Order: sequence, then structure tokens, then C-alpha cells
Amino acid sequence: MNAPILLHMRGVSKAFGSTQALDDVSFELRQREIHGLLGGNGAGKTTLMNILFGLYRADAGEIFLNDQPVHITGPKDAITHRINMVHQHFLQVGSFTVLENILIGAPRKNRWNNRYDAEVQKIQSLQERFGLQVPLDALIEDLPMGMRQKVEILKALYRGVQVLILDEPTTNLTPQEVDALFQSLRVMVQEGLSVVFITHKLREVMSVCDRITVLRNGKNVLTLDRQEASEDAFVRAMVGEGMDLSRSVIFAHAGQDLPAPAPVPLLRVEGIVTAPAEGSVALKGISFDVREGEIFGIAGVAGNGQRELAEVVMGLLPVQSGQVFLRDQTLPHPDSRRVLKGDFAYIPEDRLHDGFLPRASVAHNLILGLHRRPPYSNGRVIDWSTVFSRARELIGQYNIKTSGPEDMGGNLSGGNIQRVMVARAFSATAPVLVAHNPTRGLDIPSMDLVYQKMLERKRQGQATLLISEDLDELMLMCDRIGVLYKGELLGIVERGQFEKYTIGQMMSGIRPQA
Amino acid sequence: MKKSNAVFSIARAVLPYLLAVLAAFAAAGVFIALMGFDVFKAYGTILFTSFRTPNGFVQTLLKFVPLVLQALAFTIPLTAGKFNIGGEGQLLVGATAATVVGIVFANLPPVLLIPLVLLAGVLGGALWGLIPGWLLYRFGINEILTTVLLNFVSFNLVNYVCTGPLRDPGAGHPTTLAIGENGWLPMLVNNPPLHSGILLAILVVAVVYYVITRTVSGYELVATGANPRAAGVFGINTRWMFIASLVIAGGVGGLSGALEVAGAQHRLIEGMQHNFLVLGLIIGLIAKGNNLAVPFVAFFISVLEVGASAMQRTLMIPVEMVFIVEALILVFVLLSDLVQKRVS
Repeated sequence: MNAPILLHMRGVSKAFGSTQALDDVSFELRQREIHGLLGGNGAGKTTLMNILFGLYRADAGEIFLNDQPVHITGPKDAITHRINMVHQHFLQVGSFTVLENILIGAPRKNRWNNRYDAEVQKIQSLQERFGLQVPLDALIEDLPMGMRQKVEILKALYRGVQVLILDEPTTNLTPQEVDALFQSLRVMVQEGLSVVFITHKLREVMSVCDRITVLRNGKNVLTLDRQEASEDAFVRAMVGEGMDLSRSVIFAHAGQDLPAPAPVPLLRVEGIVTAPAEGSVALKGISFDVREGEIFGIAGVAGNGQRELAEVVMGLLPVQSGQVFLRDQTLPHPDSRRVLKGDFAYIPEDRLHDGFLPRASVAHNLILGLHRRPPYSNGRVIDWSTVFSRARELIGQYNIKTSGPEDMGGNLSGGNIQRVMVARAFSATAPVLVAHNPTRGLDIPSMDLVYQKMLERKRQGQATLLISEDLDELMLMCDRIGVLYKGELLGIVERGQFEKYTIGQMMSGIRPQA
Repeated sequence: MKKSNAVFSIARAVLPYLLAVLAAFAAAGVFIALMGFDVFKAYGTILFTSFRTPNGFVQTLLKFVPLVLQALAFTIPLTAGKFNIGGEGQLLVGATAATVVGIVFANLPPVLLIPLVLLAGVLGGALWGLIPGWLLYRFGINEILTTVLLNFVSFNLVNYVCTGPLRDPGAGHPTTLAIGENGWLPMLVNNPPLHSGILLAILVVAVVYYVITRTVSGYELVATGANPRAAGVFGINTRWMFIASLVIAGGVGGLSGALEVAGAQHRLIEGMQHNFLVLGLIIGLIAKGNNLAVPFVAFFISVLEVGASAMQRTLMIPVEMVFIVEALILVFVLLSDLVQKRVS
């Protein structure tokens, strides 16, 4: 029983400069379906939907709505056609209430007073129908990410939609919030809406979508009903023929065969307290250790002190009390020279500000922090021929798309900048690696390479502190996971007892029953 | 394959400059023609005076020495992302220190006095770089402000020295006595007179280029300029880089003053800084802060400057015309950046 086709995008192409983001892509959305748009980073999923929402203009291609051609030249047109999009980064006013954020920019019945009775009634009925309960008079900035996302969906529903596009909606949600979101989506399609669900996570589309379209490198690969296809077919479609799946960490079928870490702590963090400051979360007495050959994960919804913790471990952020130890040696604090001394490697979260030199060459970037030691220098003079030959190796190994080591950093795209961060950190072979969202912006083969490199570190007895917003990534890679909530470590879970709902509860601030 | 690539990339880098120079000459040519002068004769004088007579070439080299050093005093801190607009203050303080030492120790033998005079100039200039550097390091005061303001302090310092105890009573302009002859730089060529400062200037150019492109400190300077936050996260002491680059730039600026004293003027003269600072800035900006390009641009600007004086003498066209050409070249070079971005 196939529902009629609501929306049809045909032959859509779009180029940004010399990169072809979309190449003759077609997309069909039926009535009353949740359609998963699946693909790695840079596959063109978001670009395609931004064209539908009118944020980009396609170079070629047509859009049909109910078999009628439509011209969408801006988000206003899209909204008139009852198409709306919830972006990965919410567009909200933090100091406004939920109600004000929902109503912002929408036509008002009576714009001469401040009474919103009719509007409130309409919103409340939407909330009840779709299970999107949010206190309307709360300030946005006080709400957790899951709630703020509901506000964003309500905003779309309030304007009236037949097509709702969600861009990576699960990024900042706990597993419980993901489940609630999926239930709401189910209700929406039962009420007659169609939903496009953009994601790079196969498991999510398999659990909620009716049909799935896979994009890779800006091209259609396949569209299938969920029931028709196996997970393997989608995996193959997402990664292409080039990748050796048998060595893959992400798609390993058997459970990970991780060697157990030695019981010797390599990095120890004890009683870290930092000062509260505007725009940052104070750490409240954090203690843990990372052992030889261990990957220790930090889970948590973004903005619960992850960045502060990484900066304390790297010696960048001053502490009020507490110490960082390396093999029982107290490290001086603060001290930004931990990478320089060769004990630490660092993949910062904010790659553009904290890790990248846009106005220097790729080679300069690849040796930042390693430039005072062999093989790159003798402490006084840089050995550029070694730097260049090593840089060429790294560019090849990590598949960094650039014209060469002398290319300016500013010419690289976000994903390639991340590859530079990763290549630099792993080539340092330091005893301790602090990796904050190391796979953000990477396509699947590059993600897999990062995981392989982490396992290699593990086999060599090095310690890795993996701070990530992606719970699946943590559960795949880590020996233990600590959960961070508002600057506190609520608990540490051992591998074997990983259970995403318990971790999810801790992520939303519920302490585990001791 | 490899070689043709390199040639191609150099051609690509030089082409916008050529176009910018042509466009500047064309635009200024309109004005020269409107003023009723012969454009081709004017440009012929500007471009070829330096190469027609030995004297012209020596004049060009003498111009080149302060200009290249002033440009480096601007581009060295620029590599670290800081703006030194205090080159003329550093020149004057360096010149003052060199003059004082040259007069006080006039009886020392040349092997001692010449290095002493030059060293005094370098240290004087470095002090004038250290003050803004320290204010930046300690209080975070914007270095553009402090370097510019210190220029005015140096004007008054020169005024004081030139009219005070070291004054030359026989001169009609605020000027000091001559430094001891033992402190004069030896001549490379006697007629036309060319002092050996040019060798020092070239040495400084080479050392600066080597340090910035080959050494660890140079790498850290470049990294600091490229993104100070990231450089700091990865262990580079960026505030130290700022202060060090300003002090070194001050030393180079001070050396330019010392060379003017020991080589050209042999005394401190009020106004001896001419417009070297502004020309240095223009050279540094046309070179886009690239320390390797600086000497070539500086030489080209020296040619224009020498040609300009000749043009005024023979054709009665005001020298300011050449200043307009130089500024237009800078404008067109900056424009070419925009055009390249649009095209690619």
C-alpha cells in the first residue's frame, strides 16, 4: 500500500566553487512517511534540504509539490508551501520565553496588544497532540537541549507544515529524549504530515524511518523501504566500494575485541575545581584516572563542562584546587606546554579557534606543538625537508584533500581541517591523548581511521581521554565512561555494563542508584 | 613537471603585481598629462634615472638602505600579527644614540668606534620597540597607538639634542656636531660615494629571512601571527612573541638610523627621517608582509624615489606625483587580492 507522492525533487545539482556538492540528485517524499536521508559528512544531505527550504538556490533541478512545479527562492516561499526545517543549530533568542520564540515572526491575530490567548490555545493543542510538552513561560536559555528542540519543532508546527525537515535532530539528545522524539514523529505522520529525517546514524533510521535514501559524495546511491533491505546494504551504500569493511571498527559484527588495559594509571585527575565564569561551566571536584592502554570516555550533553575539563587536563584553564598527575608526577598548573613537552596530544573541540593556523601552510599546521622536537627540528632549526616528506605521508594516510604541504591552511574545508587535527594528534605518539569530538565533520572512512588509530594507541599501552557528544561512539570505543553533568562527574560505568538508557539518565542529571 | 609548476606559480604570484604597477602608472599618467607634461618623458626619467649613470645607481642603493630596514621593522612584527608604526621613532632614537656615542667616544680607533656606534643605534631603537612591547605585555595596550605616539616623543628628543649641548653652532638648521671620523662607515666606492651600510642591510635581510623561515623561533612567530589562540593552546608563548618581535623590529629600525648617521650624514639632523616610515609601510604592505619580497619591493620603490627627484629637477614635475604612483600601486595590489578571490 503505497501512499501518493507528496514531494518530488528531480535532477538537483549544486556546486560550491570547484566542489560539486550535489550531482543530479532526485528525492521522493510520500505522504505520511518518515523518510530517512542517510549519509556520511559531506554527502550532501543538508545541502539538498537547504535547497528545498530555500536557503540555497540549486544550479539545476526542479521541485514538484503534489505534481505541481514550485519555485522556492527563500525560506518564506517554503513556509508558504508548508515546508519547514529544524536546523542542527537552533535559531532561538535565549532571553525570550518559549512562547515568544514560537510566535516570533509569525502572523498575529491582534498585534496591538500583548494578549496571546488564541495563540496559546493553539500551541497547547499542538503540544497535546504530538506529545511535545514544554513550559511556555520558561526562558529558552534555562532549558536543556532536548526541550529547546521541542520548541523548534513546535515553531514549525505552529506555522502549519505538511513537510517537516529535521537536520541531525538527535545530536544533543539523551537516549530517552531520542525515544520521545521518535514517538512524536510517529504521531505526526499518523496525523498526515511527512517528515524528512537527516542523519548519519544508521541505527536511528533503521528504528524510525519508513523509507531511506542514501547519499554519498553528492550522488543518489539508493532509496529503499526499510523492510526491503538489510543493514548491510545500507552500510555498503554509505561507505562505497573503496572501504575495507573487514578491518572497519564501526561496522565490526562481532563485539569489539578490546585488549584489557593495564591497571596502571597513566593520567590522573584529582579534585578539580574551577572558578565559575561567564559563559563557562565550573567543574566541581572531578577525579578520575586513565590507565595504560585505556580509552576513557566522557559522556554528556554538550555544555556540561566538557570543554573546561579538556582545558584543565591540557593545562590551559587555571584551577581553584585539584591536580593533574602524569605517572604519579604532579604536573605544574596552568602550563600550556604539555604538547610541546611531548607528554600530551590534543584534538580541541573548537578546531578553528584552538587548533588551526589559517594563515600558515598545511605543513606548518601539521607540526604545531611538535615543532621543537625530532624529527621535525633539533630545537633551534626546523628540518623542512623532513617536515614536508612527513606531511606528504600524513596527507595521504589521512586523505586530507589539499594541493600539498605548502597549501595555505585557509583553503581547507572543515572536514579536512579536522583531518589535520587528527593527523597531528596521532602522529605525536604521546602517552596521553585528549580527543574532544575527534570525528566531528568526518566522513565514514575517516571516522573509521580515527577509531583504528585509537585502538592502535591502546595496543601500545597509551592512554586516551575521549570526550564526545556521540554516545554510540563512546560505547563502541571506551573501556570506561564517566558521565559529566553540570560540571560534576555523576558516575563511571565499566565496559560490559554499558547501557545507553542508564547513561542517558545520568546525562540528564539523575544519579545512579548506588 | 615539477619545475614548470614552480615557474607557473611564481608567474601567477608576480602577474597581479605587474598589472597593479601598470594600472597605477596609467592612472597617474592621466594626471601628468592633464597637468600638461610629457607622460612618457616623465616615466622614462622615473624608471631609468637609476640605471643610466653610476651616480643614479648609487643614489638608489643609498635610498634602499633605510627603506628596506624600515619595511622590515614593519613586517617582522606583522609576521606575529602586530603593527609597528613606530619605525621613524626607532630610527631617530637609534640615530640619536649613535650620534651621542660617536661624539663622546670620537677618539676611539675605527675597529671599536664603528661597531659601538652601530650597536648604540640598534639598542636605542630596540628600547623604542621595548616600550610598546612591554606596555602590550603588561597592560595589553594597543601597540599601534603606542608606537605612533612614541614617534612624537622621538621628534622632541631629536629637537632637544640638536639644539642642546651637541648643537652645531655653524649650521642654520637644528643639527649636531659631526661624529668622530673614526666612526664613519668605510666607503665601498669613493666616487660616486657609496658607504658600506648596504652590505649590512643585505645581511639583515638575509638573517631575518633565515630566522623566520628556518628556525623554531621563526616558526613560532608565524604560528602566532596565523592564530594566536591556537599557537597558545599548543604551547607557544605568544605574548613573548609579540614583545620579542617589537624589540627586534625596533633594533632594525634603530640600525637604519645608525647607518644614516655613520654612513650618510655623519651627524644628527632634525627631519632626517624624511618619509621613510610611510614608504616602509607601503613597501611592507605591497609585499603583503612577505619578508622575502620586501627587498625587491624596496629596491623598486627606491628606483621610483630617485627617479622622482630627477624628474622634478629636469621636467619640473613635482615629486609628489611619484608618491601618488606609489600609493596607487598599493591600492591596486590590494584590489588584485579582491579580484583574485572573486575569480577563484
